[in-house]
Amino acid sequence: MTAVLPSDSLAGQAGELAHVASRRDGRRSGTPRVAKHLRDNRTAYLMIAPMVILLSIFVIWPLIYSLYLSGFKISFYKDPEFVGFQFYQYVLESPKFWQSLGVGLAFAAMVVPAGMLIALLIASFIKTLSKRLASFMKTTVYVPAVVSTVVASVLFVFMYQDQGVVNWFLSLINAGPVAWLNNPGTALPAIAVPAIWLGLGITTLIMLAGLLDIPDSYYESAELDGAGFVKRTWYITIPLLKNILLYLFVTGFTAALQMLDLPLVMTNGGPVNATTTPNLFIFNSFRDGTPYSTSFSLTAALLLFVVLGAISVLVFRLINSDKAVDG
Amino acid sequence: MHKRRSKVLLTLAAVVTASLALAGCTAGGGGTTADGKTEVTFWQQKFEDYQGVWFKKYVDQFNASQDKIKVNYQVVPADTWTQKLQAAQAAGKQPDIATTNYGNIAAGVVDGKFAALDDYMPADVFADIKDNVSSFVTIGGKHYAYPMLVEPSTVLYYNTDMVKAAGLDPNTPPTTWDQLIDWSKKLTTGDVKGMTIASTAPDLGWSSWGLQYNACGHLPISDDWSKANATDPCYEKLLNLYKTLYQGNLIPQQPKVGYADGSPYGSGEVAMMAGGSWVIGQLKTDFPDMLAKTMVTAFPSWDGDATRTTATLGGWTLTLDSKSKHPQQAADFIKYLLAGDPAIMADFFKAAGYSKYTVRKSVDEALASDPNASADPFMKIISDKVVAYGKQEPGYPWDIALAMGTAIESAMKGTDSIQGSLKTADAAINDVIQKQSLAGTAPKK
Repeated sequence: MTAVLPSDSLAGQAGELAHVASRRDGRRSGTPRVAKHLRDNRTAYLMIAPMVILLSIFVIWPLIYSLYLSGFKISFYKDPEFVGFQFYQYVLESPKFWQSLGVGLAFAAMVVPAGMLIALLIASFIKTLSKRLASFMKTTVYVPAVVSTVVASVLFVFMYQDQGVVNWFLSLINAGPVAWLNNPGTALPAIAVPAIWLGLGITTLIMLAGLLDIPDSYYESAELDGAGFVKRTWYITIPLLKNILLYLFVTGFTAALQMLDLPLVMTNGGPVNATTTPNLFIFNSFRDGTPYSTSFSLTAALLLFVVLGAISVLVFRLINSDKAVDG
Repeated sequence: MHKRRSKVLLTLAAVVTASLALAGCTAGGGGTTADGKTEVTFWQQKFEDYQGVWFKKYVDQFNASQDKIKVNYQVVPADTWTQKLQAAQAAGKQPDIATTNYGNIAAGVVDGKFAALDDYMPADVFADIKDNVSSFVTIGGKHYAYPMLVEPSTVLYYNTDMVKAAGLDPNTPPTTWDQLIDWSKKLTTGDVKGMTIASTAPDLGWSSWGLQYNACGHLPISDDWSKANATDPCYEKLLNLYKTLYQGNLIPQQPKVGYADGSPYGSGEVAMMAGGSWVIGQLKTDFPDMLAKTMVTAFPSWDGDATRTTATLGGWTLTLDSKSKHPQQAADFIKYLLAGDPAIMADFFKAAGYSKYTVRKSVDEALASDPNASADPFMKIISDKVVAYGKQEPGYPWDIALAMGTAIESAMKGTDSIQGSLKTADAAINDVIQKQSLAGTAPKK
């Protein structure tokens, strides 16, 4: 950071001096003045400076340093040993790493589409309500968003117990009890439910904002043509919400793929690694306590960064984002 | 304009320098107090509540007994212990003294984490350690930890009221795995399960060591740590035991607590329990009514041979960090607490309800005069039937134990067949051996 700023300021100073000199020559005036566009530039640089500095300290530098460190076998008690790309090979060869990515993708596939669909239905419903009722509903829907993930995890662990409310419902139809969190087949969907619930508030509000932006005249004319709710949603709402849906899909997908707290608290990655999401895999690798584990978890984290970036690019490619459609 | 920019730059430089300087000030540890005492940090992993009370009492007593050393005592929850310690090590702020279990000593010594205590403590304090325990903390002839206690990882507890109600005789408990399954079936009624045992990979990883020895006479790795040994067919019967108990609904399908916690047995949710000897302490403090209707015996052997190992002998020690800035002062505290006046450790075993075993001859002598210590019926049985055949915890990296734990869990929950699970574990262990260069690194005494 300190290496960037002086050279930046030197370049700026040199440019400014040259400019001032040329103006002095041209106008032969006594007081140097700075061109407006340069002043604008300076204001712009000053305004983005805090962000750039913070990003450099907390993101860019750690990233570069992590890349450097990933080439070493790190021990906190011995000198680091240079091993080149060995840990990249180890991570890529690890069946658990790929399994965790699979778990992360399956988790995202359960949480994101279901969450968006439910949010769209709720948002469409809220739109039809009176103002007072709508504001009550908006608050109600938003409540889970302010609940801590850890609190929600504990709450759902209780609900999934043998004597919990979920198995109580099953007992009404003479089924169960199901070991929701201790069965490899049901554990991941059981964790997806609180994830959907927690994300519902924000998704619904963003969708509602998008819905309210669609002119009522579209719906009115469609209604005159005899279009029902499904047709109106399919031909008007969804196409006009495309940018919002894309945004929600990409952010939801990356967030779901990076889920850590729910499986950590609810199942600790079990049973038989069925809920070990990529971040939990990295965290557990770090907690392993061997010198091997430090570099391994670091490298796995860097590779996850690449995978997440690639998935986001892919999503953007598949769903071409249009510029805002004029309403 | 230039002046203004220089001012901005100067301010920025000052802020950066100041924050770096501040960060520098806080890095590292091992300072001195205002009144000139050397500060030593001590992290204790959170165990039973009475242990915290005991540690606090004697840390305060040590601090008051002299005016040169001040021990800063901190309790760290067990589930955050490793990451907190690792993060502290990365920042160079690790404690001078920490609780370490026997299984982690060998690997820690290879990594250079611990200082040899022989350099800071007189030889006679090591001579006081019982011979079999001394080998747990000795590597290459040096002592890298001072032991505190020994406790077997697996014994069988059973509720005599429930056993009688099921028409079974509490005086002839199961001795084979088949009998154990038979008892579990007969004792499973309504909401009460026949027994409880570990059922998640992290718990199975360590709590099944004794039964791995029981089934095969060895652990799933060769003695010199050069090759995995998990596909040995003898392990199939072990996985089958766990599978039958789980899939037969004979143990809780969704346990609320981990293996180390004896509350499902204490609260009557299960009729039998595989648990460590420490559960006796828990029953005495939290479920005193259960004591009268509880009997304890060695966990059954697969073929009924009572001389086979059924438990590993685990336990805790205090270790001195190799990077400690005040190793002598830290060692002085370890000596005071664990190796000094036998009455201090005797007080610990008394607080534990005699649910753990001593590691020093002098502490045994101090307890000899206490009738409660020798009169405990549970500890006599555990001592004769379990500890006598117990083995030391393995010192290999946790990944190997976890691979075997995952294999057992996978067979229990039907993710894979028994053979398939063992094959996966074998491959995982060989992978650890190769990537962590373990071949030939098995600790030599």
